[in-house]
Amino acid sequence: MQKRPAIVAVGRTKFGEHYGKEPEKLIEKAWLCASQECDIERRDLEACYLSDCFLPITNKLGLEEGFLSELTELHVPMEVTRSVSAALLAASHAIQAGAYNTVLVGGIEKMTDRWDKIRDDLMLLEDPWSYYAGGTPEANHELMLRAYVKKYGIAGENLEKLNLALAEIAVKNHAHAMKNEYAQFQRRITIEHVLSARDAAHKPLGRYDFAPISDGASALILTNEAKAKKITDKPVYVLSCSSATDYLNFPTREDLAHFTATRIAMKNALEATGINISNISVAEVYDQSTVMELVSMEDLGFCEPGTAWKSIRGSCTDYEGFYDLNGKKLFVNTNGGLKADGNPLGAAGGAQIFEVFRQLRGEAGERQISFSQDSGLTGVSLEFEGFGTKAYVNLLGRDSNE
Amino acid sequence: MSSEPIERRVSYLGDRLKASRCKICGKEYFEVRDYCGVCGRKSFGKMSSIDLFYEKGKLELCTLVNEPTNKFMKLGSYIYGIISFHKGKIRVPGRLTDQIINDNEVIDPSSFEGREVVPRFRRRYSVGRNEVVPTISLAFTLADEYYPHQEYSVVQSTKEYDLPGVVGYGFYTSRFRIKEANLERSVPFFDEDAVTAAVEAGKLALIHSAVDSSLVGKVYVGSESNPYAVKPIASKVAQVLKLGEEDGDVQSVDAVDTEFACKAASSMFKDAAALVSYPKSGLKYAMVIGADNSQAAPRGCPGGELDMFVGYGGSAFLFGKHDVIAEIEGWYSCTSDTPDFWRRDGEPFPMHGGRFTGDPAYFKHVRKATTKLIERLNLQASDVDYFIAHQPNPQFPVKIAKELGFKEEQYAVSLQVNKFGNTYSGSSPLGLAAVLDVAKPEELILITSYGSGAGSDAYLLRTTNQIADKRHRQKINVNFQAENPFVKYVNYTTYRRLKLGM
Repeated sequence: MQKRPAIVAVGRTKFGEHYGKEPEKLIEKAWLCASQECDIERRDLEACYLSDCFLPITNKLGLEEGFLSELTELHVPMEVTRSVSAALLAASHAIQAGAYNTVLVGGIEKMTDRWDKIRDDLMLLEDPWSYYAGGTPEANHELMLRAYVKKYGIAGENLEKLNLALAEIAVKNHAHAMKNEYAQFQRRITIEHVLSARDAAHKPLGRYDFAPISDGASALILTNEAKAKKITDKPVYVLSCSSATDYLNFPTREDLAHFTATRIAMKNALEATGINISNISVAEVYDQSTVMELVSMEDLGFCEPGTAWKSIRGSCTDYEGFYDLNGKKLFVNTNGGLKADGNPLGAAGGAQIFEVFRQLRGEAGERQISFSQDSGLTGVSLEFEGFGTKAYVNLLGRDSNE
Repeated sequence: MSSEPIERRVSYLGDRLKASRCKICGKEYFEVRDYCGVCGRKSFGKMSSIDLFYEKGKLELCTLVNEPTNKFMKLGSYIYGIISFHKGKIRVPGRLTDQIINDNEVIDPSSFEGREVVPRFRRRYSVGRNEVVPTISLAFTLADEYYPHQEYSVVQSTKEYDLPGVVGYGFYTSRFRIKEANLERSVPFFDEDAVTAAVEAGKLALIHSAVDSSLVGKVYVGSESNPYAVKPIASKVAQVLKLGEEDGDVQSVDAVDTEFACKAASSMFKDAAALVSYPKSGLKYAMVIGADNSQAAPRGCPGGELDMFVGYGGSAFLFGKHDVIAEIEGWYSCTSDTPDFWRRDGEPFPMHGGRFTGDPAYFKHVRKATTKLIERLNLQASDVDYFIAHQPNPQFPVKIAKELGFKEEQYAVSLQVNKFGNTYSGSSPLGLAAVLDVAKPEELILITSYGSGAGSDAYLLRTTNQIADKRHRQKINVNFQAENPFVKYVNYTTYRRLKLGM
């Protein structure tokens, strides 16, 4: 197990609007945070895996590896992916293969530099035919909600409960973000905020149901197990990086009420590691909308299909922020999720891993959850590229004896 | 989209909604595919091409879009969702078009779910004035409203006539109207223009004639409101309607745009008729379309007087010698260089010569062409059953008809300007369509067009028995669109906005 990939340090910037900063300034900040935490120097890095979804469009940067080389004055191998999870997957494979001992995995996005055009860009990249037909980034979420409601025959009082449960997801995530110094929205919202925003828009989902547009960067340092143990006494191991893919064009997918790619990736991750889902105590799911969090809870297997809204009700209203799964507490998006922490696409996955890392190490401050004795120190992060076109499931864990 | 090769590929698939079906397992795909994802290698060469252009879909799921992406902003709010075809075997995204949703209107999008929809060929979204105009048929209208679904089924021709003539025709105008005093005029929706009207009219003509579109060897499109100074409307019509034999992604058809103000289309009737009669052409049918989003400067500006009369629409006529519904018995054309109405290149709106457009222009040429043709064919005005003149306003066609000795019962049917406005190149052809909608076999129809600049074409047509036989194939005829209960009326401000389009 000497080559098991382990995260030894994480870093990130605050998410939000960084009008005055070049994209490289953000990744520099994130890297410095991580580097200071574990005392790894630039020169120790044998490779860099950087993710960004949009820099070629938002900042007209085509060869991101070049500015990273300039910034670090390193000439090591560097690769660019679209998400931090994709970068982590590639980096983990390299560590496992013994190609490198120490690598940087980072993510960066600068969406507000193209504020006025970003929704067109997002939609065109995410689902071109839907874009050509008049679709918006929000419309696919709303259609998924419609598909969900129809598939499970949710009507009348239950439909009201579902809509309330979705509002509670947003409220919960904002409540979490208030304890997260890096979060974009560190303010409390109420159910009334969410509902009145929906009313104002004449829509089933309103502005408080959707994640914002953000700038930000995140970074983590990945080593093999042997090295990690020399650096820290609390390494967080990458137990599994699993991914699956679905069709670009949302309407053509088999199941419009769920993300098939999530189901496959999670199933593979659990099978590969032999981990029982009931041993996972903390989850970071990709909540570009409240619907996405709800559906992902089912797709990951935490809730039965068509029932997640029942688990949320009565558990999130008190702002303690857990899902009640047959008496067991599951904490989801304790950093505030994409909804409140922020949603810089290429960096958001790093913030998810940052959060799971902190929680597993007991370093999450006010947000710290308590892990019960019987369930292990295991967490999961789910990241998407596109509207569920790619799903990455990362299982992270601490060894119980460490 | 500024990259034309991408634009070409998107519209090649999207205008016609091209799809594929696996001949082994029956799975369908919204794209042109070489193999089936289920059957794999063994399905190579076993994929059949299908398309959804004439199909009826079902709106499965929908939502309200009231904050569109930038390129759709001019549409305001619209219903957007997922449409299924063939009992759910194939699903596509789409928006409902031809609906104006006001800002504070409360809409329950789910009430649209389950309703049947018809794909419509429209502009896709807004682009810069120097870019290619993108189009798509992922716009849909409700099948039980203004534009019902009609099947296009080919019928083998049974009879060859001595003279060429009209084999089938179609008239299309939008759902929207402006009503001022006694005059109603058609107004295009935001995503409509001369190109979409031409395609719609051609589509209706194919449905009415039941002619295999691959037998149409030539298409002429006359218009004075082509969104392009250079790039034909006819090429779009040919590709979308699959005119001529399909050879790879190229149609074996000759397509050309013509321009002569309001007679750009009617002028080509004789060319189409001559072409199908030429023994060596090997060409069975030719289509002539007149389509315009008639332009006019706003009221109060120079040329703004036209704004009282301009309409929107297209008329298409298929000419051939087989299964003819109206034979062409003769024609006469005349031309003089008379600058009564013009639009300089780069100018958005035409100018006109005021009173000069009357006696020395319209009346002189219509009179000349009509009297000459009557003389040549040894007829009297009373011999013809229907007279149609170009209709720039409600007064001119009545005045010339009376002067030429026609009685109201001869010209009343053709007067459509009160219902649709002046559809420029589509104007006298619209009158002809209205007459053909009601004419009985063995009747004589005299049509005289007028194009500023100036000239007139007069034609004499004689209807055949088949005119009655084919009538049931076309539900969306002139009267259907004039009296349609789903017509929406807009005010002057909205009309100007719609007219400018995306």
